Amino acid sequence: MRIEKHPILEFQKGAKIKFLFDGRELEGYAGEPVAAALHAAGVRVLSHSHSHNRPRGFWCAIGHCSSCNMRVNGVPNIRVCIEPLAEGMVVETQKGRGRLDV
Amino acid sequence: MIKSSAQVVIIGGGIMGAAIAYNLARKHCREVVLVEKNYLTSGATGRCGAGIRQQWGTEMNCLLSQKSVKIFENLPEELDYPAVLIAFKQKGYLFLIYTGTEMELFKRNVALQNRLGIPSRLVSPREAKDLVNHLNTEKLLGGAYCPSDGHANPFHVTQAYAKAAKRLGVNVFTNTGVTGILKDRGRVAGVATERGVIKCETVVNCAGGHAGIIAAMAGISLPVYPERRQVMVSEPVDRIQDPMVISLTHHLYIQQQPHGPFIMGMGDPNEPRSFNIKSGWRFVVETARAVCTVLPPLKDLRIVRQWAGLYDMSPDAQPVLGESPEVKGFYTAAGFSGHGFMIAPYTAKLMAQSVLGEKPEMDIAMLNYHRFASGELVLEPAVV
Repeated sequence: MRIEKHPILEFQKGAKIKFLFDGRELEGYAGEPVAAALHAAGVRVLSHSHSHNRPRGFWCAIGHCSSCNMRVNGVPNIRVCIEPLAEGMVVETQKGRGRLDV
Repeated sequence: MIKSSAQVVIIGGGIMGAAIAYNLARKHCREVVLVEKNYLTSGATGRCGAGIRQQWGTEMNCLLSQKSVKIFENLPEELDYPAVLIAFKQKGYLFLIYTGTEMELFKRNVALQNRLGIPSRLVSPREAKDLVNHLNTEKLLGGAYCPSDGHANPFHVTQAYAKAAKRLGVNVFTNTGVTGILKDRGRVAGVATERGVIKCETVVNCAGGHAGIIAAMAGISLPVYPERRQVMVSEPVDRIQDPMVISLTHHLYIQQQPHGPFIMGMGDPNEPRSFNIKSGWRFVVETARAVCTVLPPLKDLRIVRQWAGLYDMSPDAQPVLGESPEVKGFYTAAGFSGHGFMIAPYTAKLMAQSVLGEKPEMDIAMLNYHRFASGELVLEPAVV
């Protein structure tokens, strides 16, 4: 779902591009938040709570709440609500808290 | 309604006040009242790095922490509080040694600790790296490691003590600031609070960085002063680090909590004496730089929060414990200099014995503050 027309805001879309979400090829617009592209594609579960493994979705949308932490191009804990989408990006649902590259 | 009289009034709702309240009540001291200006753990306890170590450089600090670790090990049973919340984990402390002077210091400290039965040891840079895989061993001469050091949750430990104390009849009044100490013929006669006067003959000053202000209300000059320390914490990540990593060279400590976040603190040697507990961006930048030097893979961590609190510093970085020679009935448990949480369980036990006129099971006479007048101080060297 996307808002195509808004009474105040104008959306300037980038080029239509492809990216991978958990192995599925999806489409979005270059430069929009990864989370926006996922939302448009019907993806509602972005992460899971650490203690109870409950599904977590789009929440604060401004990079504060960590509800949308995902693995992007192999890097864990990326806040996809503020991460610009790029061609060929590999977005994955994160298992666990994310491991630092030691 | 506040109590109009009590046998003992404890000032300060941190770990020390709560633990002393519990120990007094357990020894059947009647009518113990604890007053706290804000809320329990609102001061240094709730802002501390939560570490518990026995690797100290003075015998007193070693003994107080060693005996406290024994109490921490059985605290859930003793206080009937969930072990998962107290979260006492013994994953060790690894001191990093970068200079010859530090090497000499840690050789002496480890010898002292071993003599007292603390299982610390010097380790090579190689062994240090085995303990903490992501450690940068460049310029490292070695380390000092004690496997039974660790950390616990300061909020829950304080709540555990406070709840156990309440079950034994202690009255806890939060949001109750102290405005004065009443005296009568050279001894304590009561405590004036924002909610009324509590008559009592015994006061225990556990006010942390504010202990000097409370003492001054009784006309006592206490050489304990406040000094800010800043802390920051990262997002949680999978566990990669067991021991607390600590460096005197960098004034730095880095701990990974059981649920994943890293807690990082760094002391500023030029920090002035003051009640300032503001957080600053400079701390984040400088601490991050030091952390990335010592543990480079932490460069990918995101910092989510920072805060500050007060160390209650004493001139020799050892606590001030005991009754005032000038004002009878005025007891002090302050000046913990950044290690109050870890020595609280045993210190509180000794303080309760002392307050009730018993001979404390360990002689703490040398920790009373007359020691500062004589000028013969044994300075604790291992403070961050």
